[in-house]
Amino acid sequence: MTPRIADMLTYLAGIVLAALFLMPLLWLVSLSLRTPAEVYLGAARFIPEAPTLDNFRQILSDSAFGTYLWNAVKLCALGALGAVIVATPAAYAASRFTFRGKGPVMIGILMVQMISPLVVIIPLYRYLDRLGLLESHLSVIAVYMAIGVPLSVWLIKVGFDTIPQALEEAAAIDGCSQFEILWRITLPLASPALASAFILNMIMGWSQFLVPFILLTRDGQLPIAVAIYNFAGSSSASTTQLLAAACLVAVVPALAAFLALQRLILRAIMAGAVKG
Amino acid sequence: MIKDRRVWLWFAPVLLVLGGVYLIPVADVIRFSFSDATLLRPVTGYGLGGYQAAFSDDSLGVILRNTGLFTLLSVVSLQAMGLAIALLLVRGDRRGLYGMSALRTIVLAAWVIPGIANGLIWQMLFSEAPFGAINSTLRLIGLSPVAWLSDPGNAMISAVIANVWQGSAFSMIVFYAARRAVDPVLYEAASVDGARPVAQFFFITLPQMRGALLVNTILVTIQTLNTFDTILALTGGGPGRATEVLSLNIFNRVFYSYDLGGGSALAVLLLTISMALTLVYLAVLLRKTAR
Amino acid sequence: MRFAYPLTTALALTASGTAAQDLITRDRVGPADAPNVMTFRLTAFDLYSSDDATREFFEERFLALMAEYPEWRIETQLQTDNIGQEQARMLEQVRAGRGPDCAMIDSSQLGLFKSAGVLSPMNDHFSQDQIDDLFPFVRDGVMDAEGNVLAWWWFTSLQVLYRDASLVPDAPATWEDLQAAALTTVEAGREGVLFNGGRWEGTAFDWLPNFWAQGGELVDADGRPVFNEGDNRDKMLAAINYYKTLVDEGAAPSRVTTIINYDEFNAAAAAGTAGLFIGGNWQYGQLRSTLAKDQFANWEISELPGPSADQRATGTGGWTIGAFSDDATAVEICARMAYEIYATEGNAFQGLLPTSASLYDAYDAFDGPEYDAFAAALVNGVARPGVAIYPEISNQLQVLLGDVLSGAATPEAALDAASDAVNAAYDRL
Repeated sequence: MTPRIADMLTYLAGIVLAALFLMPLLWLVSLSLRTPAEVYLGAARFIPEAPTLDNFRQILSDSAFGTYLWNAVKLCALGALGAVIVATPAAYAASRFTFRGKGPVMIGILMVQMISPLVVIIPLYRYLDRLGLLESHLSVIAVYMAIGVPLSVWLIKVGFDTIPQALEEAAAIDGCSQFEILWRITLPLASPALASAFILNMIMGWSQFLVPFILLTRDGQLPIAVAIYNFAGSSSASTTQLLAAACLVAVVPALAAFLALQRLILRAIMAGAVKG
Repeated sequence: MIKDRRVWLWFAPVLLVLGGVYLIPVADVIRFSFSDATLLRPVTGYGLGGYQAAFSDDSLGVILRNTGLFTLLSVVSLQAMGLAIALLLVRGDRRGLYGMSALRTIVLAAWVIPGIANGLIWQMLFSEAPFGAINSTLRLIGLSPVAWLSDPGNAMISAVIANVWQGSAFSMIVFYAARRAVDPVLYEAASVDGARPVAQFFFITLPQMRGALLVNTILVTIQTLNTFDTILALTGGGPGRATEVLSLNIFNRVFYSYDLGGGSALAVLLLTISMALTLVYLAVLLRKTAR
Repeated sequence: MRFAYPLTTALALTASGTAAQDLITRDRVGPADAPNVMTFRLTAFDLYSSDDATREFFEERFLALMAEYPEWRIETQLQTDNIGQEQARMLEQVRAGRGPDCAMIDSSQLGLFKSAGVLSPMNDHFSQDQIDDLFPFVRDGVMDAEGNVLAWWWFTSLQVLYRDASLVPDAPATWEDLQAAALTTVEAGREGVLFNGGRWEGTAFDWLPNFWAQGGELVDADGRPVFNEGDNRDKMLAAINYYKTLVDEGAAPSRVTTIINYDEFNAAAAAGTAGLFIGGNWQYGQLRSTLAKDQFANWEISELPGPSADQRATGTGGWTIGAFSDDATAVEICARMAYEIYATEGNAFQGLLPTSASLYDAYDAFDGPEYDAFAAALVNGVARPGVAIYPEISNQLQVLLGDVLSGAATPEAALDAASDAVNAAYDRL
């Protein structure tokens, strides 16, 4: 096989794969632009003859959708921020100090990541209930934070590992305390690692369903992922074209954030992947 | 390098958060699993009742089989798909072909879609109404429609397809990174020896990526075991119990049938499987580092 | 200072203007600063309907009622159609003291709330006449043994058979008739008969009339599940086999096991692919507004077919409103909402079936011919048993029907499995 033919086959396979991965989203867009009459025509109207933005108008004119989106942004941003803040000191210590028990602790942190949130949500539900903290965004943020911590510790540690220690040693000679060194010198240099940990946590938080579904009930508090599940289950509004529009509204912010920050995210996952 | 007791202060926030949200609750799940608590009533006694009830339930066999099948099919497909795309990307990069980063972006885009939305999207695609996406396409090109979600066997495959569509990106990245870390000299030497690409794949690529494959298999298995939001939105576990996996069953048991004791017993089972897999994972990692 | 006066007036006017508009928001009815708050958990069909006219109608009624209680505001909480999950969660919250003060409770779940002893009696707010006027199955449903009114069942519903009369001119009266009629529509290129078969309450509820029509009973007088005992077992199997045959013979498409929403039927009717479907009475109005006029003219309704023409039943459903609050005024507002907004004018506006005979005469809205058909079918109405185990029975029936219709289990095996699971849950209760 000549390289030329191999290139052609590569292109062919690439196009097939791209189509496979793109079609569901294109179909979603197609449905969301259709009138009910065109929905019933199925694939024959993949490109609607009378495209309409009415479905989006109807979804977005409902002020609740704005609230759901805002709730989702708020919950996952604060949860992600919390995780990075909590993880940073531990990551620094793991990167810079040697001490007895470091290996087991770091492995323990990693193991926590393997525990399904489903397992812990059962007792958490009861604790928060007793403390009167159900129906509160604070509780959800705390759980998001904990879910994000293990990965954050490892990602940020890897980030710290790549920063040469010579700079810190120089600062130490100048009489800076350990904490000052971290704050003034190391953290700014580690900002790419911090940012990628933050963004990965954001994206994971955006997909979270179980935690807010169990801990929150009031409609005005729900994030978008729970809201569209409820929306799909409410027969007054579950017509296909509206559901498609609602799904797009839920998906687009995450997609946009991802496309804008793709490089950073990719580097973060690769760093995580290579290190295990 | 510092040796100091105060080092633990640096870990205090992490230990506090993980202790409060993970360790104490895990201990409590284990406690509940030996109790007769329901969601409506506190514990009145301890015993093996929860385990007995959960494990003597006729449906558990079906659910464990579903879980095994769903996990096995998902993991194999996710790995195969991820590996195929990664190798394609690496080849495209090497040859300077166009559109490789576009392909990578498209595959990754599916990955950021929330599981619930993923289930809803595929529900529309698999819809068996005459105007459903895939079936109306099949009809358009003269093929007969497929019972994607109403046939128990197909429903499982449909759930796997939805899961693979969303999840392939993760495996793709891991394999992409691993493949690029393989020393190119190996391939050059093989080419000089006249090894065909297929032979190179089996004798260089696969063995060199063995570590990544193993590690990723375990990670993806754990992820697949622990999530159920795609299935919840796609089939709700139906038809009948055909796509009800362990985590969905625990969720239904506790929050729908109020059976806290039995649900916790199964949660402990889920936890045990995850932890066992994690230990295998760690053993692999440690051996890799030791080498 | 001369300018100050008009300016403050203008400001005050603007402020009151916004206030009037602001009296109803996504989560509140009444002034935001009212000192007393009561929470009301409702479904999204009326006050928060996606239909503008419906929403405005209910907004007006709520504001009129709340104008009598200027010190109060209602904090509204929406619940979804996932009835089992929503109501389970609500009961759990009420037990923990976190429940709403007033809520819509699905009539099938009312028994669970009654036996939990969490409902506040509303005796003072309903006259003996109003209570006597309720249909007997409704009265039994809302009252306890001591004669307390624990909730107000504000509308009922029933299943009917919808058919495209251009293909099926005569209403099928028996199971066999229905199968033959459905096969006729299949020959005409339609999907045959559609019904709920996925995992949700509608599946169990719409199928149960086939069991009831034979005189089957889900629970005994003590509320113990008996549907797999004695005669009941045979009746169960007959009803299961009826649905199974429909699917096996191609009279119903296999996709019924994926249907978890009445909306699917409206969609299939609008797309022109449905021939017959088993739906709720309230869908008649929906079809009228969804379908083109000439298309709608073909659709007719009739009583559900039975094993024989004189063995018929339909399931009566609908919603109730009950109070969980200890506050007398909150209970009063709750009861008045239930009757003055929902049970009377609201039903007339939405075309929902009132629960007392005299209300049908009170409103012109109930004069249409479809209401005669509903009234005739209501004679054979059976309510789901108001017992705590019903939700679990329903859950198991959903699994059973899914397994049988998809061919994953035989009717006998699936019935035994369902019965075992229900009995295990009953022992835990």
